[in-house]
Amino acid sequence: MSLKFGFIANFPKEFFLGAKGFMNMGYDLFYGFGIAFQPMNLLACFLGVLIGTLVGVLPGIGPAGAMSLLLPVTFGLSPVSAIIMLAGIFYGAMYGGSTTSILVNIPGEAASVVTCIDGYQMALQGRAGPALGIAAFGSFIAGTFGVVGLMFLATPLAELAVKFGPAEYFSLVCLGLSVLIYLTQGSIPHGLAMAGLGVFLSLIGQDVIEGTARFTFGLTGLIDGVGLIPLVMGLFGISEILLNLEKLGERIILRTKIKNLFPSREDWRKSAKPIARGTFLGFFLGILPGGGAVISSFVSYALEKKFSKHPEQFGKGAIEGVAGPESANNSASSGSFIPLFSLGIPANVVMALLLGALMLHGLRPGPLMLTQHPEIFWGTVASMYVGNAMLLALNLPLIGIWVQILKIPYRMLFPLILLFCLIGSYSIGTNVFDIYVMLVFGVLGYFLRKLKYEPAPLVLAFVLGPLLEKSLREALIISDGSMRVFLTRPLSAASLFVALVLLLSAILPSLQKRRKTVISE
Amino acid sequence: MLTKGFRKIEGLFWMVLGTAICFLAWKVRLGTFMQPGPGLIAFVTGLFLFMVGLIMVLSQILSRVHRDDGFDLNLTFRNISWLRLVYTMALLFGYAIFLNTLGYILTTFLLMWGLLYDRKKKNWALGSLTSLIITGGSYLVFEVWLHSQLPQGIFPWR
Repeated sequence: MSLKFGFIANFPKEFFLGAKGFMNMGYDLFYGFGIAFQPMNLLACFLGVLIGTLVGVLPGIGPAGAMSLLLPVTFGLSPVSAIIMLAGIFYGAMYGGSTTSILVNIPGEAASVVTCIDGYQMALQGRAGPALGIAAFGSFIAGTFGVVGLMFLATPLAELAVKFGPAEYFSLVCLGLSVLIYLTQGSIPHGLAMAGLGVFLSLIGQDVIEGTARFTFGLTGLIDGVGLIPLVMGLFGISEILLNLEKLGERIILRTKIKNLFPSREDWRKSAKPIARGTFLGFFLGILPGGGAVISSFVSYALEKKFSKHPEQFGKGAIEGVAGPESANNSASSGSFIPLFSLGIPANVVMALLLGALMLHGLRPGPLMLTQHPEIFWGTVASMYVGNAMLLALNLPLIGIWVQILKIPYRMLFPLILLFCLIGSYSIGTNVFDIYVMLVFGVLGYFLRKLKYEPAPLVLAFVLGPLLEKSLREALIISDGSMRVFLTRPLSAASLFVALVLLLSAILPSLQKRRKTVISE
Repeated sequence: MLTKGFRKIEGLFWMVLGTAICFLAWKVRLGTFMQPGPGLIAFVTGLFLFMVGLIMVLSQILSRVHRDDGFDLNLTFRNISWLRLVYTMALLFGYAIFLNTLGYILTTFLLMWGLLYDRKKKNWALGSLTSLIITGGSYLVFEVWLHSQLPQGIFPWR
């Protein structure tokens, strides 16, 4: 296959971007496949989805942690191979997460929490095979449709975003943070505090406009700012391990024979509509700044329960409760690439890491990336089709191996995860200071999570902080210090209005109840 | 009552942090709206955190009933193996302190040995062997194959 398509990538770009430029999506996709089928990129894709599945299967390390761990490894790769591999980890984890949810009743990652409810019940009833099968097929279908949606929406959005000024970017960042805070479980003040802290942490180091060092407290290690990777590894990786170490217990793995991985006709009949609804819903929730795979899986479950003629079956092994959420989280993972590639705004923590990875490779995601570096966008899109097919092949025949991996005791596993975290944070700048940063954020993350503070708003605010500052200061300079610039530009005004409504609705007592209902459902 | 009191202290913490950030921002120069300085956004962030803290404190003082947000201070920190957590973190900080001096191989071996040592079974040999395998394997992957430039320390090789 690589020989057949590899030559396409060697064609001059102009061949594909001729008179009609990027509007000709067929040629663009063909160009993307040429890149995706290059041997190195195929290998990167395979490794990405394999590691992603493994990360999804193993409780205790999510896709964000795994991506930050492997980021230094990608330095030796070309930017396109690196992004293909990191993207593979993300959507691979969405596939793998269902295995532990169904067989152990422990979600491998947060987006599979909801799969535990009916997936584990199905396994208890001896239907682990169809549950795993429908999760894999649903993920494949949704993942593939999600990529189609990404292809069709990212280009026009990027063309629109070229017209955005600093005021629009500032307001969009505010909107993204508000949506995330609104949808974060827990109290609104906690979410707001986390976002505020994240913005402040992002300001440490050199000023983006004047270049002066600030808030470094005399530490030379802070002149370049707090590193994203040590921060994420600490908040998600180290703190997760500390939480698991609190009470070390052996996992109970269901001793059931996994048979009939291919769902029956009746299973397909019940699952077809949930898969379709999950795909559609997940994709659009994935695009939403602050949305993503976790939220979409919960919303999909609530939706399926409402649509079902037998809602009483939910929680007792209803296959719709597995098919819908698993499709939704995979579709959302594709959708969340849209704001990153077209606006340069990450929709969630994983996309924030991908943004960091692109910047480490000297690329700036945003509306111009599609024209300046089409190989990154189309190569990644095409690799996602290939990766989804690889995942289907990996997940179904290799389920036995994934189950064996689950049997590794946690006391043997956590030293390895810790070592990878240490090497990963050290390798970024060959600097011990980054290890200290990671450990400090690990302890901080542990206590934050114990005290019911979600670290996600902190990380997203940390990533968006520099853009927030730059766009606000530029907008003020352009408008001669007038704040009206944010209200006179329609998109900016609309974004700020929606952000304000969301925050007020979460604070006002009459609307608080509605938000709680949405989150609890 | 303990949880409610804690939530008040929590609010006070954010107020103090917000004030400190405002002070630091003021020191690095706020500038004007026409020419915003490097401290402007930090100052706004500090004010924002102060307001959030104030809301937390006021909501606890003004509300007559305790709102159940699923958090109980007593339950949250009950039955935690603090010794294990402190021991693990001490090993990790020790790793950071000695990494450059002792080098990757020796520090990693000691860390792995410390983490894998089973206090109940007291099996020194198995812990040592596993640590050796992990150290060697990770050295091979990260230093030899991926050229990660791990610290050399007292050994003649990295």
